[in-house]
Amino acid sequence: MTLPSDSFSTEEALPAEEAFSAKLSIQDLNFYYGKFQALNHINLDIPANCVTAFIGPSGCGKSTLLRTFNRMFELYPEQRAVGRILLDGEDLLASRQDVALIRARIGMVFQKPTPFPMSIFDNIAFGVKLFESLSRIDMEERVEWALKKAALWDEVKDKLPQSGASLSGGQQQRLCIARCIAIRPEILLLDEPCSALDPISTARIEELIAELKADYTVIIVTHNMQQAARVSDYTAYMYLGDLVEFGETGQMFFKPSRRETEDYITGRFG
Amino acid sequence: MSEKHLSSQFDSDLTSVSTKLMEMGGLIEIQIQNAIQALAQFSVPLALEVMIAEDRVDAMEVAIDHALTTIIARRQPAARDLRLLLAISKITTNLERAGDEADKIARRVKSIVESNDARKMPIGDLRVASQMAVTLIRRALDAFARLDMDAAVSILREDDLIDQEFKGFTRKLITYMMEDPRTIGDSLNLLFLAKAIERIGDHAKNIAEFIIYIVKGTDVRHSSLTQIESVIR
Amino acid sequence: MAHFVRRKRLNRVALTLAFAAMLFGMFWLAWILWETLRLGFESLSLSFITENMPPPNEPLGAGGLANAIWGSLTMVALATFIGAPVGILSGIYLAEYDPRGWLAVTVRFVNDLLLSAPSIIIGLFVYAVMVVRMRQFSGWAGAVALALIVIPVVIRTTENMLALIPAGLREAAYALGTPKWKVILRITLAAARAGVLTGVLLAVARISGETAPLLFTALNNQFWSTGLSGPTANLPVTILQFAMSPYENWQHLAWGGVFLITLIVLGLNVLARTLSRKFSS
Repeated sequence: MTLPSDSFSTEEALPAEEAFSAKLSIQDLNFYYGKFQALNHINLDIPANCVTAFIGPSGCGKSTLLRTFNRMFELYPEQRAVGRILLDGEDLLASRQDVALIRARIGMVFQKPTPFPMSIFDNIAFGVKLFESLSRIDMEERVEWALKKAALWDEVKDKLPQSGASLSGGQQQRLCIARCIAIRPEILLLDEPCSALDPISTARIEELIAELKADYTVIIVTHNMQQAARVSDYTAYMYLGDLVEFGETGQMFFKPSRRETEDYITGRFG
Repeated sequence: MSEKHLSSQFDSDLTSVSTKLMEMGGLIEIQIQNAIQALAQFSVPLALEVMIAEDRVDAMEVAIDHALTTIIARRQPAARDLRLLLAISKITTNLERAGDEADKIARRVKSIVESNDARKMPIGDLRVASQMAVTLIRRALDAFARLDMDAAVSILREDDLIDQEFKGFTRKLITYMMEDPRTIGDSLNLLFLAKAIERIGDHAKNIAEFIIYIVKGTDVRHSSLTQIESVIR
Repeated sequence: MAHFVRRKRLNRVALTLAFAAMLFGMFWLAWILWETLRLGFESLSLSFITENMPPPNEPLGAGGLANAIWGSLTMVALATFIGAPVGILSGIYLAEYDPRGWLAVTVRFVNDLLLSAPSIIIGLFVYAVMVVRMRQFSGWAGAVALALIVIPVVIRTTENMLALIPAGLREAAYALGTPKWKVILRITLAAARAGVLTGVLLAVARISGETAPLLFTALNNQFWSTGLSGPTANLPVTILQFAMSPYENWQHLAWGGVFLITLIVLGLNVLARTLSRKFSS
């Protein structure tokens, strides 16, 4: 047991301003479900090629925030986002942006595995076909590449024509990740990706997340604080629609600067 | 820790390990007290008592380490809970070493008495420093029980006084030895005892540093008093 | 302990009552099936499906219901062909586009009305708008009347089946940047296809036994009809006519028709059940 010796001054306990290059910059974001305001003036820079975790109790707005990044909320007419979300400087919320193209750049994986009602191969090819027209051989290569990236290739290479629903829960979730990766996004949004999985499948996905951050900016929403501590580089703690604290994960779980964060992390919340 | 966890079992686990630490602290305090007493009166029975207590202290250290690993394995503590447990582990080590110093004093007292040198030893000079050391250990344990940072800082300050006392005493011994080489044997014994007392003060100081670590999350070992005071503010 | 004994006794009483009620229902059902099988099976022969309706007072076993079977088949097929696409598309609108809009709410309400409307009203309606204007009973009118019965059934099942698809699947498809039409066609409808097909099969089963709407529209025909533009022979009306007649050979054939329809409806139900089981797994 050694104590961190590099944390002498209190200034270092706070996230260093602009120490990283922001992939996604959220500026004064407010979100409304009808008249109810679910996010209050969120300002947050998400670093490139890192894993950022959003934690907080149910209803704190962490999933809501995630769903503004790919404009998923627009499926529901009563939901509204006001503010700016800059992806490499471009405002995603601007109406001139093509939602389909945003979603090609920002992929999302959901809580429950959602294999499409088609073969394993087509599950991956489906998304690719939306944006690119590849020859049969190129498509096969792409599917293999995506499945390998998602650490699923060895398990499914002999049953690509089988239905995606025939896989186990953990495999289905990796299939969904592969489906996302196949269209080569820049950002991966993971909305509680392991909450329906057993510990071994969870460990596989966490391992995968660690590998993916070399190529992608990963943002993960999780109820499991230990998971956030394990997989993320940066952690944001949210409560009642406010961003309470954002910082380097080791620091957040060892010495958060806000009392509210510390109470939540140590299980004194409620 | 002021507020309660959602899991009251976790709370009682933490309370129980803190209580064990205080218990061990109490044992150490008595051990040091007895060692100093044995030195003042050149009492072999008291010195033997100190040496026997060593076994109980070792057993307590093992019990506390076991409780700590169990809590860490079962609860995966974070933030101030994690800091508290890490600090308890370190404080235990420091207490055990302070007990070792008491043991050393006791052994040395026994050998001095057995060699019949006791009467001519000028131990008066050690009395002040040894009283300070035992008080510091008691106050460090008090400060831990209340997580009192101000008390911790004043312990750091007073340990500096013991250190100065030790330096002065050393200089005095050197002068004696140069003046009269026949005092070298006694002076080495005295130097040895003074060093042990000084070490006890250092362990009290370490404990105080871990109290600041628990509350502030900052590691203040190897930093100056002014730096530490700026952290606390 | 006494409490425990009492609870066990109560449980036994409730179980006995439920079992008795089940037996009561099953008794009549089994009797109906048995009578249908017993009486209908006798009249089955090769001529039953190859020859047209005989005149009255022929010997038993002469003639068949070929023209009625063929007429029913074509009208049911046509009705399904018209009704199923309209029903499926409307169901898609209700489930996928604006499910809470005023139009959807209205359509759903009207659809529920149609679903529970007595089929004779639909027959009378088609009689008024088609048969009266064209001055002719026709197979076309019969098919339209049957289609009007198919539509609400298919709308209801399609909407329900699509609504059962988890929102997550839909969102996952949108999250890839899929356009709405493609999400519906390739993802949600594909996931619900077994359920939707089940709905269509149930609708077919329902119209293959409907008599009332055909009485006013297709009427009936003693002979083989080449097209659907005149009165068209069909099983349900023929059964009605023959069963009410005083002629023994006709009554005999009516039982054969009842047997055939029962068989078809049973088959369709079994098929629908298998499909929906596959869907739910």
